[in-house]
Parts: sequence; C-alpha cells; structure tokens
Amino acid sequence: MTLEIQNLHVRTEEREILHGVDLVVKRGETHALMGPNGSGKSTLANTLMGNPVYEVTEGRILLNGEDLTEADPDERAKAGLFMAFQYPATIPGVSVANFLRMAMNATREEPIKVKEFGQLLGRNMDLLRIDRDFTSRYLNEGFSGGEKKRAEILQLAMLQPEFAVLDETDSGLDIDALRIVAQGVNEMREPERGFLIITHYTRILGLVHPDFVHIMLDGRIVREGGPELADELEEKGYEWVREEVAAGAG
Amino acid sequence: MPAEFVEQRRRAALEAYEAEPVPTWRRSGFWTTSLRGLDLDALEPKRYEPVEELPQIVRDDLGDEEHAALIVQHGASVVYSHVADERITVMPLEQAVEEHPELVEPYFAKRLPYDEAKFAAGTAAFWTGGVFVHVPKNVQLEKPIQVVWLIDEPGTAQWAHTLAVVGEHSECKLREYFIAPDFEGQALHAGAFELYALPGAQVDLAHYQDWGRGEVYDLSTRRVEVRRDARVKWVPIHLGGHLTKQRLDIITAEPGSDMRHTGLYFTERDEHLDLFTSDKHEAAHTTGDTVWKGALTGDSRASYEGLIHIIPKATEVDTYLQTHQMLLSPKAKGDAIPSLIVEVDNVRASHGGTVGELDPDQIFYMMTRGVSRAEAVRVLVEGYFEEVVQRLEDPGLEDLVRRRVAEKLHGAEDQVREFIGERAEAT
Repeated sequence: MTLEIQNLHVRTEEREILHGVDLVVKRGETHALMGPNGSGKSTLANTLMGNPVYEVTEGRILLNGEDLTEADPDERAKAGLFMAFQYPATIPGVSVANFLRMAMNATREEPIKVKEFGQLLGRNMDLLRIDRDFTSRYLNEGFSGGEKKRAEILQLAMLQPEFAVLDETDSGLDIDALRIVAQGVNEMREPERGFLIITHYTRILGLVHPDFVHIMLDGRIVREGGPELADELEEKGYEWVREEVAAGAG
Repeated sequence: MPAEFVEQRRRAALEAYEAEPVPTWRRSGFWTTSLRGLDLDALEPKRYEPVEELPQIVRDDLGDEEHAALIVQHGASVVYSHVADERITVMPLEQAVEEHPELVEPYFAKRLPYDEAKFAAGTAAFWTGGVFVHVPKNVQLEKPIQVVWLIDEPGTAQWAHTLAVVGEHSECKLREYFIAPDFEGQALHAGAFELYALPGAQVDLAHYQDWGRGEVYDLSTRRVEVRRDARVKWVPIHLGGHLTKQRLDIITAEPGSDMRHTGLYFTERDEHLDLFTSDKHEAAHTTGDTVWKGALTGDSRASYEGLIHIIPKATEVDTYLQTHQMLLSPKAKGDAIPSLIVEVDNVRASHGGTVGELDPDQIFYMMTRGVSRAEAVRVLVEGYFEEVVQRLEDPGLEDLVRRRVAEKLHGAEDQVREFIGERAEAT
C-alpha cells in the first residue's frame, strides 16, 4: 500500500535531471516535496506519470509492489496514480463534464450512471465553489490560471485516486483560491490515500499540513524531516539548504 | 424544345472544351494535381429509370429527417424527386428550362462563365438532368431542401449543374450530398453549382461529399452570390474522393451582405484533395468569416488555398480567414495557404494558418486520466473538428459527419498510433 521511488535516474535528450531519487509515500500520508525552480520537482512528477519526454535510465517506480517504471500513463492512472498538472493541456471540443465522465469511465469496470455522475459532480463543484456553467466549457480553453487549477482539483475529487501528486497546484493562486483548493485536498485526505504535494513555497503547507517534508536540490533529495523542516526553510530560504549541502559535501 | 439560351451555351462550351487540353494544376513549384490517371474516354453518362424507393445508400446518409424537397440524380438521370412544400419549385434543371424559362434564364450561369476552364466548359456542354431550386420571396422553410448526386457504377461520367435562387427575405436550408458506394474502377463527377441569395435572404448551405473508396474524380466549381443584406452560411464537407479538384467561391456582392464559410476535410489512403476557395468582396460594408479544418491520414495529399479578395470599391469590409491542417500519418502530405488581395484601404482583413500534428502534451494529459492513446487521438481529432461540425446546426448531418469521422479514425488507428508513438520516442 505504498508508492515507492527507488534510486530514480531520469534524463531528457539533453541531460540527466534526476540523479538517484528515493522516496516512499505510504497510504494515509501527505508528503511535501520542496525545492527551488529547476531542481527537478516537476521532472519527478512527470516521470511518475510516464511522460514520454523523460527517460528513466536507472531505478524503479513501484505502486503497491507493482513495477510501473515502463508502464504507459493510462496504465498508471488505472493502477491508482493521479497528477494535478502545473500547466494542464487544453482539450478543444471536449467539455469539462464530458472529459470527467470519460476519465471516470476509463478507470471503472462499469460506466457511471448519469444520475450518480451528476450528483457527484454537483457536490464536488460546490465544495470547490465552481459555477455550474463551468462544466459546459471546453476543458482549459480560455481558462484563467486559477480556473485551470480548480479544474485539476475537480478531477482529483471526481477520480478519487489512491495516490495524488500535486505539481505546484498552489502557484499562481490568490489566497482565497488557495484556501478553496486546500480545503478540497483536506477533504480528500484519508487513511486510504497518499499525497505528494510539490511546491516552491511554504504557503500551501500552512493550509494542508504535511506529515513529511523533503527538499530537492539539483536532482537529489538533500534534506528530509517533519513539518518543522518547512518552517525552517521559510525562515532561512533555499540558499541556506544549498550552503548546508555544500558544507556537508566539503 | 430545349431553350435556345441553354443550347447556345452548350455549343459554345463544347468548342471551348475541345480546344482546351486536359489541365495539370501546379502551385508553388511542388504541388501538382494531375489527371494522368483518369481515362476520360472510357466514361459515359449512364442513364437510369426513375425509382419509387430511394436507394439504400441514400437512405443511410439522409436518415429519416423530413424535407421540404428531395431530388436525386443517379448518374446522368434524375431518378427521384419529391416536393413536400408547395411554395417552392424544385425539379430537374432540364425540365425547369422548358417549363419556367422566366425563372431560370435571369440567373442561369450568370456567375459561371463556360470558358473559364476545361471542365467548366465540359459541364456547360454536357450537363444532363440537373437541379433547379427556386424559393420565391418571403418564404420561410423549416425543413431542408435535399439534393443527392449518386454514382454507383464504375465507368460513369456525371456532368452536373445545380442552379438555386433564394428570393428576397426568404429563409432556407439547402443540402447537397455527393455519394457513392465502394466500387472498383473509375468515375467522374464534374459539377457546377450556383446559388443566388437575393436581398435579405438567409441561406444555410451545406455540401457533403463522400465518394467512397472507388476511383471517383470530382472536378467542380461552386459559386455563391450574396446580395444586399443577405446572409449565407456555407459548410462544405469532404470525407472522401480519389481525386478532388474544386474551386469554391463566395461573393458578397452588395452592401450589407454577409457570409460565413466553414469547411472540413478528412483524407485517407491515397486520396488527393486540391481545394481553392475565395471570399470575394465586391461591395462596401460586407462581412466574411472563413474557417477550414482538415486532417490527413495514410498516403493522402491535401492542399487548401484560401483567398480573401477585396476589390477597390469595397470599403469598410470586415473579414477573416483561418485554415488549419492536422497530419495524422508520417506519409501524408499537406499544404494550407491563406492569402489576401486587398485593393482598397479602410478594411479589416486578416488571415492565419497552421499545419501541425497532434500535440504530444495533450495526448499525455489525457492518458494520465486513464484514457488510452487511441481514444485520446480520437477525442482530440473529433474535438478539433467539433467547431466546424457545430456550425452545421443540423443534428442529422452533424451525426452523420461525426459518425464518418469516427469510422475513418478507427480505420486509421494503427498508423496514427505508430506515428504518435514514433513522435513520442523521438522527443
């Protein structure tokens, strides 16, 4: 009942970005992965979902013991993984409601009943304070940054995955929108579900309290600890981590 | 007795046809449409007897939608005609020339010079049967007027002419279907279409072409004139044809006239499609909006050139043209060229074009939601076309187009997957 990342090395065509990442997220736990821009956080998230832009050259990704390292993204979704994208793609011609139904049916044995779908959608939209006419718009077409993020969290709430990766969901949100998103995530925290919250800032961690904090620098996890690590980071900044790591190495 | 104005044109056109060599169309040095493969001499205008029942293939495509009128030309003969709405005239053009010369002559070939091209001359010389549509003034039709051009035998030459006149302040929907079952061998549809939307008329026009897998050549010219304060919405749809070379022109001829032109094409196998469209503004205060979207699979070739032409006296025109093309196979070749000729100041005219492939980021995104690659491709291509399909505003035709696009994508699934897979690995 665990997402395990073992000694993960990842490269693009140009260069290696992750140089051996180990991370274990058990169900019921919420982990925060923090780091400055360019440290490899989004690469890790994308690699977890199987983005073909990234190549795993060493190491493994296991979900409940099943090796997903080479699996296609849709197989990973069916195995229970989800990612809320930092920059979700626009899907012209497909409404939010139709997209949600298609995604739900893709991961279910039986297609969801129309009435059940409607009720679930209504409840989650209320929770995320989304207008009703939102669902008839084409997914992400002409959406503001905040609307895109809410559409991602709406998908999370509808799909109810076992493990969810939130890739910088907090960035670009004003405080009210951030509160709504955080509330949505908090509602979904339960013993059966694991979260990996990727962020540059500590702001969201004041609203969604993580059990563990990891700090990534230059493609490696360099510090790990409890929630107090985020507070320390808030106070001292990433330069402090960089200096510490340099001192430790030297 | 056939009317002299028609016979005279036939004679002159025959001379022009015989004087002209079979053309080869070249553009920008690398795009060629050639009729080398067509054995014209082996084709003949096949005649058929009238039928009581519609052929199955026609029923399948038309569905059970009610019509204001329905007329079917099979090969060289009109075989079926039914007019449900007595206010309008819909009949074979041959018959209209004799029975209603006063309605036909003022418009007949007004915008279709017989000597502008080889096959324009051929059509003017050889057309048989034909379709005449006349909607008198101040008539509002709810149900569509349906025209079917059917070819179901190899060796057929179908020389076609449709003349449609929509009277002042009338409203109607006109649909032409060009259909053939899959057969082995060659056939030709050489067509002329002309529509005159008189002042204040509102016409909702669609051309649906699906010539199947036979070797059907379609060499046609379609021209629409939009008069003062009239509006024409035109949706041409190309879903099949071995070789198609068409010219589609829409002319906003008087102040206040407005056109909306939205096209779609999907080519597959070794099909060759060469389209030229023009949006010609002949008067001030006219407006236009042209959007074309295409997708290519297999070894197919598709070239779209769209022109906006604004003549010197046409000030205060507001118009734009967009063309998009999506390649779904490594072997398909496409070309989409928007162009502008603006001979006057004080107009708004813009154009844009894209030629591209499916975006790997969109496919990845959908797959992370559990959707398979094939399904993601299908949804993205259908979504891409949806803007055009919705402009049909005709549920029966929309369903037909969606169904046929889905079938074609299903047929092309393996090559699309291979192509997308290749791209994914290459990145």
